[in-house]
Amino acid sequence: MTDKNVLVVGLGSPDRGDDAVGAAVAARLEEMALDRVDVVTREDPTQLVQLWEGHGAALVIDAVMSGRPPGTLHIREVGDAGEPLPTHAFTAAGRGGSHAFGLAGAVELARTLGTLPTHVTVVGVEAGTFDHGPMSPEVEAKLDDAVKTAAAELLELRKELE
Amino acid sequence: MTHQLKDGGQVMHVGMLARVEGEGGMHIEFEDGRVKDVKLNIFEPPRFYEGFLRGRKFTEPPDITARICGICPVAYQSASTEAMEAICGVTTTPEIQLMRRLLYCGEWIESHALHIFMLHAPDFLGYESVLEMAKDHPDVVQMALRLKKAGNDLMTVVGGRAIHPVNVKVGGFYRMPTVAELQRLRPDLERGRDDALAAVALVAGFDFPDMEQDYTYVALRHPDWYPLERGTEVVATSGVRFPVAEIPDHVEEFHVAHSNALHARFDGGTYFVGPLARYTLCFDQLSPATQEAALAAGLGETCRNPFKSIIVRAVELAYAFEEALRIVDGWRDGLAASVPVAPRAGEGVGASEAPRGLIWHRYRISEDGIIEDAQIVPPTSQNQASIEADLRTAAEKWTHLDDHALTHRCEEAIRNYDPCISCATHFLDLRVKRS
Repeated sequence: MTDKNVLVVGLGSPDRGDDAVGAAVAARLEEMALDRVDVVTREDPTQLVQLWEGHGAALVIDAVMSGRPPGTLHIREVGDAGEPLPTHAFTAAGRGGSHAFGLAGAVELARTLGTLPTHVTVVGVEAGTFDHGPMSPEVEAKLDDAVKTAAAELLELRKELE
Repeated sequence: MTHQLKDGGQVMHVGMLARVEGEGGMHIEFEDGRVKDVKLNIFEPPRFYEGFLRGRKFTEPPDITARICGICPVAYQSASTEAMEAICGVTTTPEIQLMRRLLYCGEWIESHALHIFMLHAPDFLGYESVLEMAKDHPDVVQMALRLKKAGNDLMTVVGGRAIHPVNVKVGGFYRMPTVAELQRLRPDLERGRDDALAAVALVAGFDFPDMEQDYTYVALRHPDWYPLERGTEVVATSGVRFPVAEIPDHVEEFHVAHSNALHARFDGGTYFVGPLARYTLCFDQLSPATQEAALAAGLGETCRNPFKSIIVRAVELAYAFEEALRIVDGWRDGLAASVPVAPRAGEGVGASEAPRGLIWHRYRISEDGIIEDAQIVPPTSQNQASIEADLRTAAEKWTHLDDHALTHRCEEAIRNYDPCISCATHFLDLRVKRS
């Protein structure tokens, strides 16, 4: 049976600069205490494959690197209803997960194993640093925007489950 | 893969080799069909942790050094706490040691499950990655994810987080998990043990290239159990054995131009640390069930074929689950989480068996607990010379293969070590040059 709640995952390491942004945005979404929304944080992308099982819709917030200015927001639909991701998409995000197994790997592995929700939206926040320490001021400054964007996407996902 | 001519020789170039941790490269040069030169290049910039630790408090290394690696933080925490406690003349309680062992089981489970199934098995089953393997072997990948999750959950309960545990300190832990918390892990640990024993038989069915290496194996040894979170002495297949404190007398680190990671010699020669070394030197300390599984899988009591390290990792994975169950079942509430540790001036060594092999730290601290000198020697840097020896043997043995097949065989020879060059980026530039 499909879970009627939207699963929100803040992905990334809280110690590695802007990689903390996923968990930071997830924490703010949790404070909103929205109905039919479950919020968790994870550091290890491989866990997504099992976490997603049984969910019809999921939101993932993660740091990404694409060469754009730090704090730039990226939104991407990657659910089972969409096209497979390019092989190395998102692998540069954060530590890219252990041994290059990043978010893209988790999405495609879940698709193969049949655990990928029909609707998955990734909100990526362009990172400036993955060094040990706090988030960069640029990403801190965009945190409110990231939360607003993620919340809007979350409401859309929740509608999909109605 | 692209082929291009350079300097009159043939260079094969594979950018972005997945399934290896960190920034490294490989250079193999042939002349008249013979291997002329082999280099494992590690060009990832050094991170100067040792310099960074100088001037910090003696209580800080467990947190600071755990950040070096997202795959084996507990190895760093254990070696650093051992070293500081040795310097300060403190012995923790047997329960604190057991809890460290339990946390370490979580790390072995996470790391071995990841490497066996997600990184190494695709080599043997003929897939470029676990994504393709999952299409044909979904049950195996599901099992791998379950095993890894069991490790993550164990790390979370004992260490406070699935990666980079925050519950470890010099003298013990900030908080002990409760019997109830540990018992909740039990069903997954039990299933994990059964899965891991089945995995031993599964990987034993792979085809293994025929190659035996005679390097010196080096591992920790503990009087009571298979080495994991600590040992009392270091043993080697050369026959030497000595207390952990004497490691710096036997190991010499040195710099080579082609690697940003220091190489190391053991009593003047190339040596090997890791699952094969532990297994060969401490087979007698595995549990009856894991010994039986290993022998049924066709391993002897020693193993000299680096490609069979995948079987040994599966044996160790099963052992880690068994150990975790043993500790969980014997746990009691109300035990002291730590012992007080007052600084005193001195120098000491701490060592543990990371998933990839022996790791050791040496510190010198002042009487007020300020670190004056630090040395951190992880397994992959110690294994660089044996990786190069394997590459040389493999390149000579399979030189008749075409470039693609030879390159692949050499990549496998590197992955046998589960090398952990770093946690930052993931490029291996692999070149084979024939002239």
